[in-house]
Amino acid sequence: MESLTLFNFSGQFYALLGAALAALAGIGSAIGIGIAGEAAAGVVSEDPNKFGQVLVLQALPGTQGIYGLLIAFIILLKVGLLGGDGMVDITVSQGAYILASAAPIGLVGIFSAIAQGKAAAAGIMLVGKKPSELAKGMIFAAMVETYAVLALLISFLMINSITF
Amino acid sequence: MAIVDMSKLSVIGLNDNKSDVLRELMTLGVCEINSQDEKLSDSEWAALTKRDFDQSATLSTDMKISEVSSALEVLDKYFTGKKPFIKCRKPVSEAEFETKNSKPEEAEKFVALVNEKYKKVLSLKAQQTALLTEISELKPWLDYEFNLDMKETKYSSIIHGTFPNSVVTADIESRLSQEGSGCVIDVVSKDDKITYAVAVCLKEDKENVLSVLRQENFNPVSFADIVGTAKENTQSCNDKLKNVESELSSIEKEIGRLSENIETLEFYYDDLVIERDRYKILSNILRTEKTFYFDGWVIKSAVDKVKNVLDKYGCYYEITEPEKGEQMPILLKQNSLTDPFQSITDLYSTPSVNDIDPTPFLAPFYFIFFGLMLSDAAYGLILSVGSFILLKHYRLEGMMKRLVKMFMFCGISTFFWGVLFGGWFGDMFGISPAWFNPVEEPMTLLVFSLILGGIHIFVGMGLKAYILLRNGQTIDAICDIFLWYLLLIGIVVFALGSSIAPIATEIGKWMSIIGAVGIVLTGGRSKKGIGKITGGLGSLYGITSYLSDVLSYSRLLALGLATGVVSQVINTLGKMVGGGVLGVIVMIVVFVIGHVFNLAINTLGTFVHSSRLQYVEFFGKFFDGGGTPFNPFSRKTKYVEILKEEK
Repeated sequence: MESLTLFNFSGQFYALLGAALAALAGIGSAIGIGIAGEAAAGVVSEDPNKFGQVLVLQALPGTQGIYGLLIAFIILLKVGLLGGDGMVDITVSQGAYILASAAPIGLVGIFSAIAQGKAAAAGIMLVGKKPSELAKGMIFAAMVETYAVLALLISFLMINSITF
Repeated sequence: MAIVDMSKLSVIGLNDNKSDVLRELMTLGVCEINSQDEKLSDSEWAALTKRDFDQSATLSTDMKISEVSSALEVLDKYFTGKKPFIKCRKPVSEAEFETKNSKPEEAEKFVALVNEKYKKVLSLKAQQTALLTEISELKPWLDYEFNLDMKETKYSSIIHGTFPNSVVTADIESRLSQEGSGCVIDVVSKDDKITYAVAVCLKEDKENVLSVLRQENFNPVSFADIVGTAKENTQSCNDKLKNVESELSSIEKEIGRLSENIETLEFYYDDLVIERDRYKILSNILRTEKTFYFDGWVIKSAVDKVKNVLDKYGCYYEITEPEKGEQMPILLKQNSLTDPFQSITDLYSTPSVNDIDPTPFLAPFYFIFFGLMLSDAAYGLILSVGSFILLKHYRLEGMMKRLVKMFMFCGISTFFWGVLFGGWFGDMFGISPAWFNPVEEPMTLLVFSLILGGIHIFVGMGLKAYILLRNGQTIDAICDIFLWYLLLIGIVVFALGSSIAPIATEIGKWMSIIGAVGIVLTGGRSKKGIGKITGGLGSLYGITSYLSDVLSYSRLLALGLATGVVSQVINTLGKMVGGGVLGVIVMIVVFVIGHVFNLAINTLGTFVHSSRLQYVEFFGKFFDGGGTPFNPFSRKTKYVEILKEEK
């Protein structure tokens, strides 16, 4: 633990770093929704009536950001930042555990949302040509999301098992 | 509950009766008439018959339809009354439809009137744009008091034009006077980028002055067709604009008044579409001098009605049963409980002849999974009540109706799971769960989800076994399904056996070994030589796909947590502001916006993921799809639904 205390950071700092890391999944969602949005605007320029359909597809890469928020929120609750009693004292290693448990959703969230954005954009193109195939376009994008869901699950189970 | 039985129909009748026969069959709407391309390429058929198709009639009806639909678009745009949130077909009786369409000439006149008025609107709008452009072009020159068409006097030339603002006109003047060609540049006005100016010089210097000015990025403006000063012209443009605008608004009002009769055109449109389809179907009918022939499919339960019609007009017909496995159009029929879930099947694919209808099997799982993933009692109530109101208020049809009804059902499931897990807008009211709180005991729910997934997959495999047995492929059913059952159940029993009885572990072990050995031995049975061994090993490797399939159901837990925890976030945010009137108001606003957002995004996610579990994990086990949906020769109306009179 010598090397960790070298920086003289407290456990709480690492816990907050974990919350921040989890919330970074929003980067991926923003990029993914942006990619899908560009495709959506293209399709709507051809046929404004498809707005509703393509909006549904555009929203799909947004979930990673929500999963990140979710883990960040649980971390904040756990360290007592949202409880009202103030932050609880945690050791450096406990803080580091929390940081580690935020890594899956933070990292997988970013990359899966970008990939999902591309799949959603392709789905939007599909809807542009064949409006009746909306469900299939949604499924293609949802195939990517599986891995964000798995990462969320692991992050959640890890945090849940940390005790102070 | 299943794929509807069809019978094959072929008919020969007299041409004199043809239109009556077709009309009545169309009203019944239970036959699909096949394309006859294949028969026409057969020389024996081609020698006797030819295609019965009236191209000019089809085309002229299509023309009429496109005119009516553009008139309808115009009327819809200017419709002043209350527009319904969802446009539904209006139910009418047969008699009403006929009386409404008894005067096609008037309807046609109405269409022409509307289209003409709209043409006028378009031309007025073009004039309006032209006038506005002219006004804006003249605007910088308003302070120039001479006529714009005055380009010269007896000795001098007058040049109008623009500079970029960076140019200093005095510099140009001095440069020109040094070169010996005197010139006066008068700045008329400036905007943020451009200087509008007039240059006056002697006629003989004009060429030289212009070339110097051009070097300074001068852009001459010609004012073609404009006589008089900018002010006068602007004034007259404004007057004209006023006239155009008043005319425009009066015509638009007129169209608005006309749009009250939009219904007449909607009836007319549907009547034309029916007529067009009747012409169009002729291309699927063969004819000789005096007779016609067609064949197709008819819903088996409606055969008697078709027989009545054909007997009435003295047609010769033959109705036979399809051979086993023969390609035929597919129509699905459900009971009232599973019908809404057919939308999930329809969104995937129509089953093929060799498939079974998956709808009744996916319905209960979809119902459970949806509720489990959304799992909030309040959200469930909102979803159910909202869908119920939609269904009551609007005459929804087809896919839309099914989907809304499905959400109504799934709302009930969501309510049920919400009560079990204690989710009422998340933790807003602190209602304790009837079973357990998944945020506190995620492992319990994870195991429960995976068990549900296992059952789902086993049902899918069972359906595959049923299909194989039905087709007489008993060996395939045993090797590809029952051995896997043995292996998978064996593994589960082996893993959990120690907590039940020591003997269970032993049983589980041997079940898995027999299953695995069986799979290795039989997996490559359709291959040759060395492939028999590698094929078997390859099959056994397929166990990883079962593992990933089961793990995929962990999303049931993850999405359930997502709804619950995001609700918790919203509630915490709302309560943060504190007490007082302001605090309460902010809290309510945060709650409403937050929960609407959460409900919307999570319902979407839940819909997508419960569908995915059906499509990928469940359908992958037994369902091929790719059938042709039954497309009956019927009245495909857009605006009205003609109710069939039951006799």
